[in-house]
Amino acid sequence: MSAADVGAVSLARRRRSVLAVHDLRFVALTVLGLAAFPFVLHALGGYSGLATQILLTGIAAIGFNLLLGYAGMLSYGQAMFYGGGGYVAGIVATRFAGGHPNLWLAVLAAVVTTALLAFCVGLLVTRLYGIYFALLTLAFAQMVFFVVEQARDWTNGDDGMQNVPTVGMPFFGSTIDLNTGLPALDLGPFGNLSDVKLWYVFAALVTLLVLWFTRVLVRSQFGEVLGAIRENEERSTFVGFSPRLYRLAAFVIAGALGGLSGALRALFDATVPIDSVGIDRSGSFVIFTIVGGVQTIFGPLVGTGVIMYLQNVISGKTDAWRLIEGLIFVLVIVFLPSGIVGTLLKRRRTRKQLLDTVKATP
Amino acid sequence: MEGLSQALLNGLVLGLIYVAIAVGLTIIFGTLRLVNFAHGAFYAIGAYAGLIVAQHVGLVWGFVAAPIAVAIFAVLLDRLVLRFFYSKEPTSQLLLTFGIAVVVQETLRLVFGGTTQQFPVPPQLATSFALGAIQYPAYRLVFAAGVLVMITVVWLFLDRTDYGLIVRAGIRDRIMVQLLGGNIERASTVVFALGAAIAGLVGAAASPIYSVDPNTGFEFLVPSFVVVVVGGLGSFWGAVLGGLLIGELQSVTTVVYAPAANVIIYLCMALVLVLRPQGLLGESEVIRQ
Repeated sequence: MSAADVGAVSLARRRRSVLAVHDLRFVALTVLGLAAFPFVLHALGGYSGLATQILLTGIAAIGFNLLLGYAGMLSYGQAMFYGGGGYVAGIVATRFAGGHPNLWLAVLAAVVTTALLAFCVGLLVTRLYGIYFALLTLAFAQMVFFVVEQARDWTNGDDGMQNVPTVGMPFFGSTIDLNTGLPALDLGPFGNLSDVKLWYVFAALVTLLVLWFTRVLVRSQFGEVLGAIRENEERSTFVGFSPRLYRLAAFVIAGALGGLSGALRALFDATVPIDSVGIDRSGSFVIFTIVGGVQTIFGPLVGTGVIMYLQNVISGKTDAWRLIEGLIFVLVIVFLPSGIVGTLLKRRRTRKQLLDTVKATP
Repeated sequence: MEGLSQALLNGLVLGLIYVAIAVGLTIIFGTLRLVNFAHGAFYAIGAYAGLIVAQHVGLVWGFVAAPIAVAIFAVLLDRLVLRFFYSKEPTSQLLLTFGIAVVVQETLRLVFGGTTQQFPVPPQLATSFALGAIQYPAYRLVFAAGVLVMITVVWLFLDRTDYGLIVRAGIRDRIMVQLLGGNIERASTVVFALGAAIAGLVGAAASPIYSVDPNTGFEFLVPSFVVVVVGGLGSFWGAVLGGLLIGELQSVTTVVYAPAANVIIYLCMALVLVLRPQGLLGESEVIRQ
């Protein structure tokens, strides 16, 4: 082995270890954040259950961001997967469980169905770009909305599905009841440990997995190619990639994440409102992601948290909540186009660069 | 048979509303390269502005005030906000106009409440008209004729005037128009105001037929997007053809099998996309932008 080879190997090893440190830090910080989140939210006046709802909803926003942020595809149809997943989970839990609704089964059915739906819709819409893509996803989402609304025997039409049965979560032979609280422990202004149900722990685990998955995905070759397609599709084709295949794959993954999110929300809330598949819902994923920060791992989740928390606080006090939401959205687009997380990251990066230049100057 | 002719007439009226909105969308897209999510909001503003003026001043003045109010709003929007987004990528324009649409819709809800409001039919037209075997409301016939006249006027404006020449040239090649000394900036503002005024006028004029609530804008906007996609983005006659096609399709399906009426237009769009992605009368280079 020549000296150069040894150098290359040690460099690769060092890079791997640096990567591992980064990964560990990512997981540790995420776990810490997720663990603190419900207590902070309690101290800020959020109702119990809001933290769980935010995480579960955020998963669909993360999927949306995979499209808009990393593949450059603006979808106005994420609600067809979010709501679709909710309805499939609700129907499976209500009808096909034989009295013992199983969480895994309902979620699996929802994810598979929405992934299939995303595949079929994706075959058509990924042929097109930019605004055309946006309009088409919007139109297909409307189509799904009207199908759901008309299939009253299954979906209960405009009233939505009420009283979805409580699901058990079979786990290595025993069945876990997710509505069990953690042991009681008074935490002062942060509430009581027992306010946090196992549902939250489960939601946090799923969120951690989804965040990890997204991080791996966008750093993989797949993510690199998506970025190349976003920046210059023609060139990426010349290099030998098939953009349509990558775009379709991204669309299916985003759809499946939407389905997962909607299914879990449906089972947690025990209802599936008709709004969950409507145009406003699709718009809300756009708003969450832009406010939080497009093209960042945590942005969509942060945006979902901020907007849903504000909704919780403000909508009780005034009718103007949705106007305020719209204004926040417009102001963010005009004055803070990188969103909350994007702006923070940028600021940190500039500071780091400044420090580096200072250090480099003798 | 009578049911079918009734449905065809209803389809014509509905289709002409789509045509009017889609023509505005399409000329704005052609000139500004902007897909205007706020176009439904223009329709709704027109409807409410017309309603107020009709209640306080007089019915006819409502129809005059609506397009003017909406055009003023559009020009302000263009000069104060949209202008800074012309050079940005199309998706950020889409996001911005979507945000504006939400703000307008919610402002209307706060001011006028969420309930449905009905614009009164002018008393002179509150009769029905015998058309062969069927009786058809006179107002709807006048409405249809009015929209047809309006479309013709817009077409004449685009086809026969110097301004129209700049606009049509701008649809082909903005930069070349500027190089040749055409003021595309001002033409863009005029087109934006014109498209908005059409939507506002139709919003007011259609409200005696279809009642109005704050969501009405979005409800008409989404089928109008379908119309534009079916007809071909940027194509004037595509918008006209697509609008009539979608209106008739929706209306006839309501008679044949009502639950499918809202779904079929999207199926139709999917079909067009597979067979002819640039739309029926669209040009193929537009779709890749």
